Amino acid sequence: MNPVDLLGKIIEISHSNLELSSRITSILNIISRDMNSEEVIIYTFDKDRRLTCRYANQKSVLFKILNQYRCHVGEGIVGSVAQRRSPLFYTMRDIPPRFGCLFYPELDGRLENYKLFAFLPLADDSYLYGVLVLCAASRDTLHDADKIFLSILSREVGGILRSYDLILSSKKRISELATLTELGKVLTSNAEPNELLKHIALIIAKSLNATFVTIMLGYSFLKRDAQRFTYGIIEPSVQDHVEELEEAAARLLRAVSIKDCAPDEYVDSFMYTLFSAPIASKNRVLGTLTICAEKTGQNYALGEDGQYLISTIANYISSGLENTLLNTRLRDTVRELGDAQKRLIEQEKFRSLGEMTASIAHEIKNPLVIIGGFTKRLARQIDIDRTENKYIRIILNEVTRLESILNEVLNYVKETPLVAETCNINDHLDEVLYLLTSDASWEEIEVAKAYDSTLPPVACDSQQLKQVLINILINAHEAMRGRGTITIQTRQSAYESRPFAAISIADTGGGIDPAIIDNVFNPFFTTKERGTGLGLAISNKIIMNHKGHIDVENVAGKGVTFIIYLPAKNHTTKEELL
Amino acid sequence: MKNARILVVDDEENIRLLFKEELEEEGFEIDLASNGIEALDKLRGGHFDLVVLDIKMPGMDGIQALNEIKNANKNQPVILCSAYGEFKQDLSSWVSDGYVVKSADTRELKQTIKNILGI
Repeated sequence: MNPVDLLGKIIEISHSNLELSSRITSILNIISRDMNSEEVIIYTFDKDRRLTCRYANQKSVLFKILNQYRCHVGEGIVGSVAQRRSPLFYTMRDIPPRFGCLFYPELDGRLENYKLFAFLPLADDSYLYGVLVLCAASRDTLHDADKIFLSILSREVGGILRSYDLILSSKKRISELATLTELGKVLTSNAEPNELLKHIALIIAKSLNATFVTIMLGYSFLKRDAQRFTYGIIEPSVQDHVEELEEAAARLLRAVSIKDCAPDEYVDSFMYTLFSAPIASKNRVLGTLTICAEKTGQNYALGEDGQYLISTIANYISSGLENTLLNTRLRDTVRELGDAQKRLIEQEKFRSLGEMTASIAHEIKNPLVIIGGFTKRLARQIDIDRTENKYIRIILNEVTRLESILNEVLNYVKETPLVAETCNINDHLDEVLYLLTSDASWEEIEVAKAYDSTLPPVACDSQQLKQVLINILINAHEAMRGRGTITIQTRQSAYESRPFAAISIADTGGGIDPAIIDNVFNPFFTTKERGTGLGLAISNKIIMNHKGHIDVENVAGKGVTFIIYLPAKNHTTKEELL
Repeated sequence: MKNARILVVDDEENIRLLFKEELEEEGFEIDLASNGIEALDKLRGGHFDLVVLDIKMPGMDGIQALNEIKNANKNQPVILCSAYGEFKQDLSSWVSDGYVVKSADTRELKQTIKNILGI
């Protein structure tokens, strides 16, 4: 084939859609046939810049031998050509002895078959991609034209290798960019931090083909249950290294790999590559990102520059993550503020309502005293048997009722100072129960007690506490129409990580209609025929004054449980309460 | 001291009347005043064994009147009487000898009076 046709054929192959290795092998086959060369071999660089025999013509016999060895740049003839970037041509006779490394033991008795050797760098003006080696048995000279032709060929092959490299690295860049874009989308979404972190771990793991990805957040930053967000399962054999790397990354404020923490031999024998990078914003470490991948896996992204990649990702997510966390905090704070404001408005509304109620009650009281007072005088003057006296009794009864309502109202709206003392809740419960159950109407009520005998004392006004207990117990009694079971339990509890004593009183009175459950603590709200609607309102106010609160658990159709929470003594001192 | 002299001070006419009739039945001699100033006038004009003083009154309220009365004669017995059990009294003021919540049922008032008068 004339050189032009040959070149044309080679260019055609190099531009074809075939796999890289088949393209190169085809080209090497053509060279072998056309240049009368039994061996046409290509060395390329490994990741560690060592030359390895990677491609050969189909009929090559040396390939299997040579491909077991690797050499550094400058080492042996191949290394020397790579270093000098200029071709070398030898006959068997004039190969310098210092290039002896060509003579691997397995080559004994084989090299002698060849008369001619040619070594050409696969390079363009700036990059070197490998070395082309030719061995010919049937010729011992190369004409200048052949040499020129070979150098053109080697450039072409270098070009193929180069474009392949470029494609690989752009593929890698594109996948990195895609990862970052996907992360960006998640980071700018309004997701909750927990969801966000899980999502981030998932995206990174998927795009890097990682065994697992774990994000550890600094404790002070996120006061939530989970501090670690992992996609995949942390290999038990890697567990210790993960913590070690996280610690190192946070301390050094840069990405670290397993190589920074373990000796080389260990790292070489290790199945995984492991990287950890700090997630830092303005030099404040929010947490760490750790990625683990199997060495044998198909993940070119986590090779030599894994450290670079992981710190890019960590930097990228840090500000978004911080924003999300701050946002969440802000949202929580705004909600708390809103709640506080609502409470304040309620209190204010309530205070003015209270003042109004007090003044109305006061105004009503005088006429009531007058009506009642004179009616009593009238009663004394009328014969007890007369019908008029019956009417007068009715008036007096109603006056008495009105008076007791007024007293209750005034009792509710007035500010009662606390007389705080150290109280044993269990004792108070027993005292109140003794008082109530001695009444005949309690005969058919079973009282089940489950006291925590180690319940710490609370600081409270015992009279007021008893009033609360009586109110709730009487409500239970009435709800059950005098028949059923009241279960009373005391226990230690925590609310917003502060210790509380909890008293729960459960009845079997059928529960409260869920539609009105929110109203039970409202003053003047009642379901009883003759009630002021103040019992629970007063109870609630008393417990609130004690810096506690009352919860209601309602199972419609079954019963209601009122739970009184009072701050445990070691938390609220008497002074604090007063 | 069955026929003790008692001054009932209340701005509400019918309350005054009720208390007068109820207390006269007990054998007391009752005089009336409709506010603090009038009460002080009456006290200057004659001797009373006891003053029953309403707290909420226009002009001079019961607490002020109590202080004036006790300043003039700290041994003058006074019972405060109010529609409900809350009133603000600063620490420098005088303390009354008794306190009764107004009620259609006058037994508590009568009993408190008798206790103070030693009957």
